[in-house]
Parts: sequence; C-alpha cells; structure tokens
Amino acid sequence: MSDAAVGAIAFVTLLTIVVGARGIRVARTPDDFMVAARQVPPALNAAAISGEYLSAASFLGIAGLIVSQGLGSLWYSVGYTAGYLVLLLLVAAPLRRFGAYTIPDFADGRLGSKGLRQAATALVLVIGWFYLLPQMKGAGITLQWVLGTPYWIGVVTLGVVVSGNIAMGGMKGITFVQCFQYWLKLCAIGIPALVLLIATGHDSARNLQPGNAPVFTRATVVDVPQAVDFTLTRPTTATVSGMLDQRQYRHQAVPLCACRHVAGAGAQLGFAAGAPVPTSLAMAPSPGVSWDSPLSAAGTDGAHPLLSTYGIIIATFFGAVGLPHILVRFYTNPDGEAARRTTLIVVLLLSTFYLFPAVLAVLTRAHAPQLYLAGDSDNVLLALPSLLLPGLPGELLAALVAAGAFAAFLSTSSGLLVSVAGALSHDFMNRGVTSFRWCAIAAGAVVTAASLLIGRFSLALLVGWAFAIAASSFCPLLVLGIWWRQLTRAGAAAGIVVGGGACLAAIIASMTGAATHGWSAVLLGQPAIWTVPLAFSVMIVTSLLTQRTLPGNVGQVMLRMHLPEALSRQDYRSFPLERARRAPGR
Amino acid sequence: MSAEESRPAQRQLVVWRGDEVPVAHDIPGPGDLRDDTKTGRLLIGSLVRAQLGLSLMCLMIALTVTISFPLIAALVPAVSRTRVAGLPVTLIVLGFAFYPVFLAVGWFYHRQARQLEARFTDLVNPAGRRPDD
Repeated sequence: MSDAAVGAIAFVTLLTIVVGARGIRVARTPDDFMVAARQVPPALNAAAISGEYLSAASFLGIAGLIVSQGLGSLWYSVGYTAGYLVLLLLVAAPLRRFGAYTIPDFADGRLGSKGLRQAATALVLVIGWFYLLPQMKGAGITLQWVLGTPYWIGVVTLGVVVSGNIAMGGMKGITFVQCFQYWLKLCAIGIPALVLLIATGHDSARNLQPGNAPVFTRATVVDVPQAVDFTLTRPTTATVSGMLDQRQYRHQAVPLCACRHVAGAGAQLGFAAGAPVPTSLAMAPSPGVSWDSPLSAAGTDGAHPLLSTYGIIIATFFGAVGLPHILVRFYTNPDGEAARRTTLIVVLLLSTFYLFPAVLAVLTRAHAPQLYLAGDSDNVLLALPSLLLPGLPGELLAALVAAGAFAAFLSTSSGLLVSVAGALSHDFMNRGVTSFRWCAIAAGAVVTAASLLIGRFSLALLVGWAFAIAASSFCPLLVLGIWWRQLTRAGAAAGIVVGGGACLAAIIASMTGAATHGWSAVLLGQPAIWTVPLAFSVMIVTSLLTQRTLPGNVGQVMLRMHLPEALSRQDYRSFPLERARRAPGR
Repeated sequence: MSAEESRPAQRQLVVWRGDEVPVAHDIPGPGDLRDDTKTGRLLIGSLVRAQLGLSLMCLMIALTVTISFPLIAALVPAVSRTRVAGLPVTLIVLGFAFYPVFLAVGWFYHRQARQLEARFTDLVNPAGRRPDD
C-alpha cells in the first residue's frame, strides 16, 4: 500500500537476519544452539521471552477480535499475561533447578521413561504446529494488505526467512533478536496508540455508549477494496458508486434495507452522520453478547457466554506453562532464583504491552467504525492509522504497525520452530547441528503448506486453541511432576494422551463446524473447560492405581527441583567455579 | 604453689571459633539431604509443602479476583453498562486493572519464596550463615 510500510517490513526482516547472523560466529556446539549456553542475565532473558511470546494474536488478533466481538475478548490479553504469573507460582524455579530444557527432557528425567518422552515429543510437535499456523496467516494478511500480493506470498516469505535464519544462527542469535523484537513491538503498538489517542481526543464517544450498535460519527465515504457481504442493523440511505447487490451505480442515493447486501470490489458507499455502520459477515458479533459485556463467546456463536469465558480463562491461564518454546528460555537462566526474577519481569513487560491493543480497539470502535466493513477482523489495526490520521503521519504510523506485526510473526515463529526442530532432531533423528538444521527447514515447509488452508479463523482464536492443548496436556505433567511425589509413568502418559487428545479432537471438530450452537458449541469451541480437569484427574487416578511403579530416584529428583541454590551449591562444592563463570554476565 | 596448681580453675571463659562449633550427629544438616535419610526426606518435604502452600495461596488470590468479575457481570447485567469517566467499566477492569494485581501477587510471592528458602537454608545449615545476614 505505502512505500513506508514496505520499507519498514524489509528493514525489520533484514535486521532480524543480520542480528541472527551474528550468532553464527558465536554458535559452535549444539548446546550453544539450543540454550545460548545458559548465560543470559534476567532482564535480557525477560525481554527475549516476551519478544518470543507476543505473537500475531497479541499484535493484530486481540485488537481485531475486540472490535468485532466486544470487550470480552480482552480476556485473551489478561490470560496471556496471567499465564506467566501461574508459571512463576508453580513452575519457574523448580523447573530451572531440574535443568531440563525441553518438556520431553523433563518427562524423561523426572519419570525415566522413553515411551513417555516420545509421547511428549509428539505433543510438542502438535502444539508447535498449531501455534505456528496463525503466525503464518498473520504474515499472509499483512503482506496482502501492504503490497496487495496474494495471501500465499506472505506465508511463504515468512516460512523461508524463519527456517533459513534458524538453520543458520540457532538460538544464540535468536536471544538477541527476540530481545530487540520485544522493544520493537512495544514501540510499534505503543506509539500509534498514543499518537492516535492524542490526535482524536476524548470526544464523540457515542459508539462507546452502552447497548448501541455502532453509527457513523460524521459523514463518511467507505471504500470497499475487496467484495464483501454485509448487513445493516436498521434501514438507511447511502450514496453508492460501483457495484452493489449486482447493480452498477454512479454516485446515486440508494435506500438500503436492514438485510444482507453484497458490495463489489472498488465500490464506494457514502453514509451520513448518524447512519448505522454496515458490518461485514466476517466481523459479525456473536448474538446474545453485547459489545461492552465482559463475557466472550468468540468461536462458540454466542452460546453460554459465561462458560465460554471461563474456557478462555482456563486455557490461557494454564496454557503458558505448557508452551514448548517458552520453557526452553527458562533453561537459559543461571539458576532458579534468576528464573523467578525473569518471570516477574516478563509479567511487567507483558502488562505494559497489553495496555495498547485495548486502546487501539476502542479508538477503532469510537472513531473508525467503517472498519466493520473490513473482510477480516485481523486487518483492523493495519488499516486504522491512515483512517484516523490522513496523509504522511498516518502512513508512517501504519508502516510502524506493519513492521511491528511482522516482527511479531518473525520472533514467535522463530522460537516455535527452534523447539519443533529441536524436538524432531533430538528424539526422532540423530542428534547434532546438521540434523537440527534440516529439521528446521522441513518443519518450516510443512507449516507453510498447512497455513494456506486456515485463512478464515481469527488469529486470537487459533492461538487460544494452541494454549488449550498445552493446558490440557503439559500443564498437568509439569505441575504434578514438580509438586507431587506419587506421579508415575503410566499416570503421566495417560494424562497427556487423554487430555491432549480430547482437546485436539474437540478443536478439530469445532474447526470443521461439527457443532454450531448450544452446549456442544461451547464444549468443542472452548474445550479447556473440561479437558484440563480431565487431564489432571486421569493423571492423578492412574498414578494412584500404579503406585508400585513409582520411580526409585523420586527423592533425589524432588531434592534437585526444590533445594535452594545456597544449599545445593555447597553440596556439590561447585560454588566458586560457578560464581567465577557467571561474573561477567552480571 | 603446687596446691594452687592442682586446684581446678574456678572460672573459665571458653571461646569457640565459628567454624568449629561441635555438632551432635542427630542434628539435621546438609548431609541428611544428600544421603536421603528419613530426616532429610522430612526436611525437604516440609520445604516443598511450604512452597506449594504459598504458591496455591497466591494462585487463589489471583484467580478469585479475575474469575469473580464475569460471574458478577453475568448475575448483575447492569455492571457491564456502567461507565467510569465515560468509559465502559469492562474496559477499565479487563484492559487496565488486572495487571497491577498480577504484578503485586507476583512480587509478594517472589519475596516470600526467597524468605522461605533463606529460612530453610539457615535451618539446615546454620554454620553457612554469613555474618552480615
């Protein structure tokens, strides 16, 4: 669309490649590749974790979902932040002290079972791929919006850049890249939010009044770039140029009924101030949930909104604990105490970031309701700046948003691809740098191909589903593995297979449209509400039934996870050595 | 002279060096933890229970604060129509108000967990305490 946006995206991509390439010289051994040799100080690590975590969903998806479905979608940003609080409370320090850098490693080390390890690896691949899909979709629609290229070009570009970068630089490069990406993303969403807030002021909040369908606050001409189906809440008259309902108009006043209409590509619809805002079918709100209600029925078509909201809360609060690409980062902390400090800083960084999608979504609702005609809610943030601030300033802000969005796709998909490729090469191939590189390229290719098929699902919804799978498989494994001596191999395996499998099946059923209303829509669309308790209970009951197979070293393992550093250092007589090695990093 | 020498000293001030405090073998120490004795298991069990209790308490606080809001809004629909300074109360609560709560709970937990661990370290290994602690 604008040269500035193209330049900004190219800049971000090149910078990512260059900073990542620095890692090539530093990365020498597989351990360097995988965990940056464990010498990352907390503040840097926290920024890297946040940079990796803030994905397409956080950047574009949540704001779009708030605009279309209402303020209840803010539960996604609340939950994505609270996930790190849960991680701090239940997992961070013991997991770091245990010293495993992937979840399969943890399962293997804690319970000593190769079968369990492979089940965990398979789940890492499922969650990783599920989480990678929305990143690819985000890249596709961003490039589509900026350059007008077909959807698949953006998808393939991201796939090539990310898998190539990882195959070359590995994790050491990525730590610097991710840290830089957090600050870039914060600026790319914070600056537009603040500038637009100041530019528009706090007037004409008419569309924020309770219970109102959005109306145009001033006379507005809406351009329709692509053919769109839309509805109106009440009849009105519009000045139409171009195709509408299969008739060609040339600047004519046309009465429109409160029913379904089709506008052709390139049409212009002029509305008077106070006219109802047309809403594209892709952006239609869930029935039964008002825009300002704190309940969300996204993905469940308005059925049982309270239950659906609790489904989102459970999935996002407990899902972050089980995300495969995040746990790798905790291994790069020097010790358990540093892991806690890192996590607390992450909560702070995420809280700061998530203030802004809400601001931008409310600005859209209040001042740019014509975006309800956008074909896809995920486009809203990209289109907003030029609508509110015409001319060069708006274009520059739009370029900043596009660059930040691209940074989000790059960083999250890099982190995910590192863990997917790591799991593949470590557990299913011969270990080593070459195998890791090939796995990165192969996994990237598979995801790129798959993401050409998922265009119609909202980014936030897709990422929410990845969280639901993690919450109903790895979350119980980690929480019970850390705090409960009596967990057995059979219990852990049964829990992750039943919980993760049930959740995956429910999501696939929901994606294929097996149930669209009533209880089944909620239970399939937000499955975490029943699959998380199910996974915990299966794990506990099976463990209690198989107590004879309790691993013999459980006492030592518990000791390793929970003994404070002051004691363990003294115990292993390694304190002076460790202090000497870590001194330059502090 | 000889009578004075053989008489036991009436008062003696005994000064021990800090690192030579005699410790009887039934006092728990780091060795118990390392050798996985019964005492060692009791000790580490008490630490794990204390840590888990603290974590669950903090988790309950955060969960209660967050999950009660949709429930209240579902029971009292007027809540979602309320405005504060012209903005929907939902926006203020979900968009801004929960984050300071999470930060406060996280900070409190971090401090308490560190203190728990310091107390445990002192209990197990009193000789390892540094003079400035």
